[in-house]
Amino acid sequence: MLRKIFGWTMTLLFAATMVIPFLWMLSTSMKSDEMLLVFPPRFFSKGMSFGSYSKLLELYPMMRMFLNSVIVAISATTGQIVVCAMAAYAFARLHFGGSKFLFLVFLATLMIPFQVIMTPLFIEIRYLNWINTYAGIIMPTMSMRIAFGVFLLRQAFSGIPNELEESAFMDGATHLTIFRSIALPLVKASLATLLVLSFMDSWNSFLWPLLVTRDTSIMTLPVGLSSLHGRYSTEWNLVMAGAVISVLPIIMVFIIAQKQFIEGLSHSGIKG
Amino acid sequence: MKKLFLIALLCVFAIGQTMASGTTEKETKSDGQAEIVYSTFSASPNHLEELNEIVSIFNEKEKDINVSVETVGWDDYFTRLDSQIAGGIAPDVFEVNYESFVSYASKDVLTSLESVQGWSEQSDKYYPKAYSAFEYGGRQYGLPETFSTSVVFYNKELFDKAGLQYPDSTWDWDQVIGAAKKINTQDGVWGMYSPIQFWEFYKKAAQNGGSLLSSDGKTVTVDAPENVEALNFMVNLIEKHGVMPTEEDLGGVSNEQAFLDGKIGILVSGIWMFDTFKDADFEWDIIVEPGLKSKACHFFANGLVMSKNTKHPEAAAKWIEFFTSNPEMVSIRMSSNWELPAIQNLELVEDYINKGNPENRKAVYDSLNYIVVPPVVEKQSKFQDVVGRAIEEVLLGTKTASEALAEADKKAQQLIE
Repeated sequence: MLRKIFGWTMTLLFAATMVIPFLWMLSTSMKSDEMLLVFPPRFFSKGMSFGSYSKLLELYPMMRMFLNSVIVAISATTGQIVVCAMAAYAFARLHFGGSKFLFLVFLATLMIPFQVIMTPLFIEIRYLNWINTYAGIIMPTMSMRIAFGVFLLRQAFSGIPNELEESAFMDGATHLTIFRSIALPLVKASLATLLVLSFMDSWNSFLWPLLVTRDTSIMTLPVGLSSLHGRYSTEWNLVMAGAVISVLPIIMVFIIAQKQFIEGLSHSGIKG
Repeated sequence: MKKLFLIALLCVFAIGQTMASGTTEKETKSDGQAEIVYSTFSASPNHLEELNEIVSIFNEKEKDINVSVETVGWDDYFTRLDSQIAGGIAPDVFEVNYESFVSYASKDVLTSLESVQGWSEQSDKYYPKAYSAFEYGGRQYGLPETFSTSVVFYNKELFDKAGLQYPDSTWDWDQVIGAAKKINTQDGVWGMYSPIQFWEFYKKAAQNGGSLLSSDGKTVTVDAPENVEALNFMVNLIEKHGVMPTEEDLGGVSNEQAFLDGKIGILVSGIWMFDTFKDADFEWDIIVEPGLKSKACHFFANGLVMSKNTKHPEAAAKWIEFFTSNPEMVSIRMSSNWELPAIQNLELVEDYINKGNPENRKAVYDSLNYIVVPPVVEKQSKFQDVVGRAIEEVLLGTKTASEALAEADKKAQQLIE
């Protein structure tokens, strides 16, 4: 009994620690200007309202930027999953000459910091005439995470027992069939992980969209919100309102993906 | 899994579509207008409306030019600007603060205003020193857009209590110190406060005829005797004259707060404090900072420059002139409490000058007659660090001014090489 109480307390405390910053963010977004930096800090203060949200919508085309973020995140994530799944399957299950070496090269690229390639990348995108276009944002954002995705999924694919493959081959299946019908369902959990990580990454991606976008009609949400920081002062209630808007889709994606997570964990897929 | 595949295919298709329909750069609009892209950091987030108003007035006036604006937050401004310059698509006109101006001018990425056809000397519109600040290598590369400076604030009540006359622009530092000594005798009150840090140091050095860099910016002169004298002067306010509190004496309260609480008689601080001080429960006013051998005042300024590869230099030059000196622009700035333009025609800024609180707002513009620009080198933050550390050591008493500055001079010289 005592153990149960202890367990619950610890869990609740932990949950509280995780949730409080978000609640603070929500609370700040609703405060009026004067009550922002009141000390001692309080969750509820006088004059709370959704005024910051409407001001934000006036100042910036928030809905447009939200849409842009959605487009970029969905496209980049989809692209990543498709490419990574196929590449990881190839690395894990197709044994071709030099596959190990290639894989190591892939891993090596993970160590290159973005700042190193950002200027040459910019020049390249400029020559492709992709500056200030969706393609210019999506393609590099998608490419940035492919090495990581391949690495993650390769591990997952390696875990599939060879017997499954062999028996499928005997039934006349091609690699493509095995990929689609056997391998992919078995790695659902890892796919879900990659989906969430990839979505979060593309949604929050800041530096690259900052460089490549010029009009507010193409800007993604993080870039738009960054200009809320003035040189000498910042209106925190506006920034927090933007942050709340920004965080909602990620929470949604996470909740949806969680289901897949658990499903994947509980079905092992090997029967008899 | 089939479904996933289909969805994936659809998305790739969609990406392909968006590729084809992205916006490309417009250099000339179809009806023959010159497109000018203006990049700025000072408008977000509070003055976007005013900026857009000014832009639409200009676009109305000049039918064959269309200015469009890119606003970025200060923190990310230069990251993006540098990428754009490297990629060959720099904005036609962009805003820079003075320190960055020096850096961009020296890297040859700007077009000089003089090389533009039809350019005429504009110096009579601006304060001469503000104008020449945006000169480099003998050529005019930019125009001053806004400026800020520091002045001397004084607490009228404390002056009254000490039976003193209010200071004016004829006072020199000796008189100020004398007044501070009298005010100091009151309980719990300090005579004056003049911050002892990098920006104050180069200003006081300039007041004493010294400077941290040679005039061509190529040699370091940190340990010049005039600078040593100036640093000693600053530190002696605490040590010798005892009219200035140390950080310990202030006990964690900022000097601005202490002034607001009526604990400091005379304060050297920035004009951005007007808003904060207007809630003071005593009367106060300002004067232009007194000089040692001569006056020297801070010049924290932003200017507009034109990039090297702009396709429309004449249009860009027109925009730069308009945004830095046009009377309508000035009145929009004044009415929204935006930063001040460095123009000579004080009639245009009457509203600001006659606003009161402080009464002597004219001193803000008078300061433009004595400005000293910050010393700027390539490795600016390291340079500030080196000098700042020397100042701290003198404050702590671990080195004398000449020792500390001599060491700083050596280190700074290495930074320049």
